[in-house]
Amino acid sequence: MWLKDQKMQRKSRNIKSQLSKVGFFFLIVGILVFLSTPLRILKDEVFEEMRLAIFQLNINENNNTTINNVNTENLEVTVENNQEAEENDKKANYSYIGELSIPKINLRRGFVSKESRYNNIEYNVTIANEADYPDVPMGNFILMAHSGNAYISFFDKLYRLEIGDEASVSYNANTYNYRLTNIYNQAKTGTVAIYRDPTKKTLTLITCTHNDDYNQTIYIFEEI
Amino acid sequence: MDLSLIEQLLTFITLPFQSFLTIEILLIFIILYIFLLYNEKRQNKKVKIALIALIIFFFSLLVFYFQEDIINVLSEIVRTVMRCFYFPNIIFYILTAIISLVILIYTMLKKNLVKLNKIITYTLTIIHLYLFTNFISLAISMNLSLIDTANIYQHDNMFVIVLVSQIIFIILIIYKVIYHFCYIRHEKLKNR
Repeated sequence: MWLKDQKMQRKSRNIKSQLSKVGFFFLIVGILVFLSTPLRILKDEVFEEMRLAIFQLNINENNNTTINNVNTENLEVTVENNQEAEENDKKANYSYIGELSIPKINLRRGFVSKESRYNNIEYNVTIANEADYPDVPMGNFILMAHSGNAYISFFDKLYRLEIGDEASVSYNANTYNYRLTNIYNQAKTGTVAIYRDPTKKTLTLITCTHNDDYNQTIYIFEEI
Repeated sequence: MDLSLIEQLLTFITLPFQSFLTIEILLIFIILYIFLLYNEKRQNKKVKIALIALIIFFFSLLVFYFQEDIINVLSEIVRTVMRCFYFPNIIFYILTAIISLVILIYTMLKKNLVKLNKIITYTLTIIHLYLFTNFISLAISMNLSLIDTANIYQHDNMFVIVLVSQIIFIILIIYKVIYHFCYIRHEKLKNR
């Protein structure tokens, strides 16, 4: 009788111990699942930092000068194509030709040449086909990127900008500094009209309007 | 930064009295400390629980008020860990190689280790050290400066070597931790 009781006790202790192990396992898996998205974002940031460092290194090697800036572009992205974009980015292998930097929103992002197949909204801040490069006198450098909360939403914080905020673009071993002079919205029709002073060199950033599915916002910066 | 030793001491001493908040914090910690010491004498379980609850409450309050800063700090810590994992600088990488080497030598010299444990450790450390040597020889052959990390990781083969060796190193460390944890537990059970 006593032996039977002991056996029963041992059995229930074993079951309890196994249950606690299974519980612990599921707890760990749960924590990992919960943390996977923020960890992935941080990982992407670390990779982006390294890409920028390599870009800067190449510029320094070629021109013997120092550069500290980045670029942008936008559109809207859904959570469904977010995963696809991430997969694309993992396979991508590209080097930046310049960098857009907006200190106020801690934005620092590289851009590739217009001819590169990675000059695409699904990979990078994208240079519009109609854009001039920043070294063109009185040119308009136009960048677009997604906004929202997706992986490729490089312009997700642009809505925090106010008139007078500064941005800079590094390109061809030169830094071009700009000041925000105009912000306006337009309906999403597939095209966008840009209103700017043609006698000044400008930087135009285009992205979807914050919390608005039907409009896009255009930010016009003029060179300081 | 340019303070003399006496100035540093004076600053440290006057630090808790710079504002009402700092005085408050100082008082809370002094009271906590006195309670802890006093309770060591009394050994009252209720006081112990109350103190633990108080400490948790105090730090929860801190987390609540400074949650954004704390999240930023945690993000920066994780980012640093990721940098060390994906793009370690040469000092960190050499450090991992030294740790691997120490583990290898320790395993070789230790007599009462289980054979399977020895085999697993040898496999992991040898692969890690092989990759490290490969990394160094590649860097020399490509005439790379190892000081600048961007200089190293602009080459895909260097990136892959470092990534694989970091994965091997982490597996080694996790294995060692789990093994020792299980081993110590096993020994304790044996002694009982």
